[in-house]
Amino acid sequence: MISIEARLARMALKGDQQAFAEIVGLYQDKLYHMAYRMLGNRQEAEDVVQDTFLRVHKNLERYDQSMKFSTWIYRIATNLSIDRLRKRRPGYSLDAESSEHEGLDGYSMLPSDDRTPESEALLSETQRTVHQAMATLPPKYKSVMVLRYLHELSLQEVGEVLDMPVTTVKTRLHRGRDFLRKKLERVL
Amino acid sequence: MKCNVAILYMHDYLDDELPAVQTAELKTHLQSCEACKLRFEQLKRTEAFAMSALSDTSTLPIAAGAATHEAGSDRLSERIMGALPTPSRKRSWTRMFRNHPAITVAAVFVLLMMTSFFSMWGQDTELVVSGTDLQHVVIEGDTVIVPEGVQVNGNLTVENGKADIQGEVAGDLIVIDGSTQLASTAKIIGQNREINQALDWLWYKVTQTVSGFAN
Repeated sequence: MISIEARLARMALKGDQQAFAEIVGLYQDKLYHMAYRMLGNRQEAEDVVQDTFLRVHKNLERYDQSMKFSTWIYRIATNLSIDRLRKRRPGYSLDAESSEHEGLDGYSMLPSDDRTPESEALLSETQRTVHQAMATLPPKYKSVMVLRYLHELSLQEVGEVLDMPVTTVKTRLHRGRDFLRKKLERVL
Repeated sequence: MKCNVAILYMHDYLDDELPAVQTAELKTHLQSCEACKLRFEQLKRTEAFAMSALSDTSTLPIAAGAATHEAGSDRLSERIMGALPTPSRKRSWTRMFRNHPAITVAAVFVLLMMTSFFSMWGQDTELVVSGTDLQHVVIEGDTVIVPEGVQVNGNLTVENGKADIQGEVAGDLIVIDGSTQLASTAKIIGQNREINQALDWLWYKVTQTVSGFAN
């Protein structure tokens, strides 16, 4: 039995643009959600989604069907997101108070389109604290947690996406959870 | 049970990976240890908060310029499809030229040669008579006559005209884009050729050039 994605990939490889559009339709929202949770920025998340599909399109012939298509595409998107997180100014933290802008933390400097009054109002105080804590998670913990909670992947599947042993996935998940617990102690 | 073991069990429990026996052990420990009980409560809440914060789509920003999530994702898919390289069929056609520059150059060269050659071939309609011994040759209009009893020493070439041979040609008789008329008294020692095709003409030019070099 060959998966629908593998079939679409094969058609797209022969130059069928419509088949590729189907793949985009299947994964675009999932990838956007995932990239946004990783990066916390709409524009960058959209760029990651686009780059992921461009890379998928370019490497279609190298797609190994022994791997689930979702695993492959999540791996590409995760790697691109982690790359972007690492390229950000080293040591730059949203929680750090900027010396130039007295009293403003990184959150108030986020692109304004992500901070509309509506979206602010939708978030409760607790939710805001949780999102802020999430933003400070180191990328290696964050990628594990996003894959685990957002896509509801098993530890085994997370290991396949990130190409690491399950024991490493577990360790990172536990450390990430503990990291968040400490950050959230105030509201728990 | 020691607290550090209990903490490991807590995480495994939250991962749905703690076997029943160990779960019972953990519960026993939590009843007797306040610190671990608090930690376990905090971890469970952290887990719940993290899960809802990550999976909640209502906090996802909508793409710029779009009113709804649907419109936003349509816009994004358009952007993605628009950014894809053009279909491979078109690409492979131009790729052929890029991958074989020598062949491309040769093809362009041949093409240019052929066009100039064909235009040359069609152009001249003037009568041209050439040969080594044209003294006794008579030209009337577009007809080149070798009268009876006359001997032409060497080759005779007629372009764009008729050749009327009544006498003798010691060499070759070549007629290009014309016709040959041989009388009963005519005698051609060499070859008698009529060339009306472009390719024949080309061959003739080439052999002539080569033999010209040889001489």
